[in-house]
Amino acid sequence: MSEEKLIHLAKEGDKDALRELVKQHEKTLYSFAFKICRNKDKAEDIMQETFLSMIKSLKNFDGNSKLSTWLYRITVNHCLMSARSKKKELFVEPNDDDELFAEKHAADWSTIPNQSLENKELREILDQSINKLAPDYRIVFTLRDVQQLSTEETAGITGLSVAAVKSRLHRARAFLRNEISEAFKK
Amino acid sequence: MKFEDVKCKDVMIHICENLKEDLDSEKCRAIKEHIEHCTSCADYCTSVESTISWYREYDPGFTDDMHQNLLKKLNLE
Repeated sequence: MSEEKLIHLAKEGDKDALRELVKQHEKTLYSFAFKICRNKDKAEDIMQETFLSMIKSLKNFDGNSKLSTWLYRITVNHCLMSARSKKKELFVEPNDDDELFAEKHAADWSTIPNQSLENKELREILDQSINKLAPDYRIVFTLRDVQQLSTEETAGITGLSVAAVKSRLHRARAFLRNEISEAFKK
Repeated sequence: MKFEDVKCKDVMIHICENLKEDLDSEKCRAIKEHIEHCTSCADYCTSVESTISWYREYDPGFTDDMHQNLLKKLNLE
C-alpha cells in the first residue's frame, strides 16, 4: 500500500495503517536521534515523543513534503529541546575558519591506524567528538552526511538557508576531523 | 589558476565544502592537481572521508523490545 494511502487511512483512525507507518520509520528515526544525542535511552525517548507528536498532529500533515521530512523536523525539535537542558558552555561552535583550517591540522593522518568500528576506543572518540559540537552543527552534519539527505532537504528540515547549511556542514566536518585526529595523538 | 598557486589551507576548506562533489571549474581542477602532488592534502582528504564514513556506519541497532515498547507507548499494541 502506498504511503499516501496509509496516511489517509491513519488520519481516519485506522490503527493498522498507523502501525505500518510507525514500522516504516522507527529504525531511521531512532538511529537519527541516537546520532544526535549519543545516548540510547534518550534516543528511544525522543523517538517515542516524535511518534506521539506525529499521531497528535497527523491531521495537519498536508502532504506537501515527504512524511519522513516532516518526521525528521519533529525529531530535530525534540533533540534541540533535549539539548537545551545542557549548559551552552559544554558545546563548541566551530565558526573560526582560521583555527579550523590551520596548517597544524594538515598533519599526517596516516599515523592513525586503520580503525574498525568494532574498536571501542574509536566509538568513544566518535561519541566524545560529536558531543562537543554545538547541536545546530551536529544536526546539519547528521542529516546531510550521515543520513545522506540533500542540502535542500536539510535546509527544509532545519529552517536554515542553503548557504547556512553548507557553511555549518563544512565547519562541522573540519571540527570532527580535527577532534578525532587530536584524540588519536593522545 | 595554476596548481602551484593553491595554498594547503584553500585545499582544506575546499575539501570540506565540496567533498565528493565533482565540480568542474578552473579552481577545482587546480585543487585536484594540488592534491595529487601534496601528500598532506591527500591525507587530509582521506581523513575527512574516513570521519564521515565512521559516523555513517556507527549505528546503534534497533531491537524488537524497542519496537514493542514503542507500540505500547503509542497504544498501538
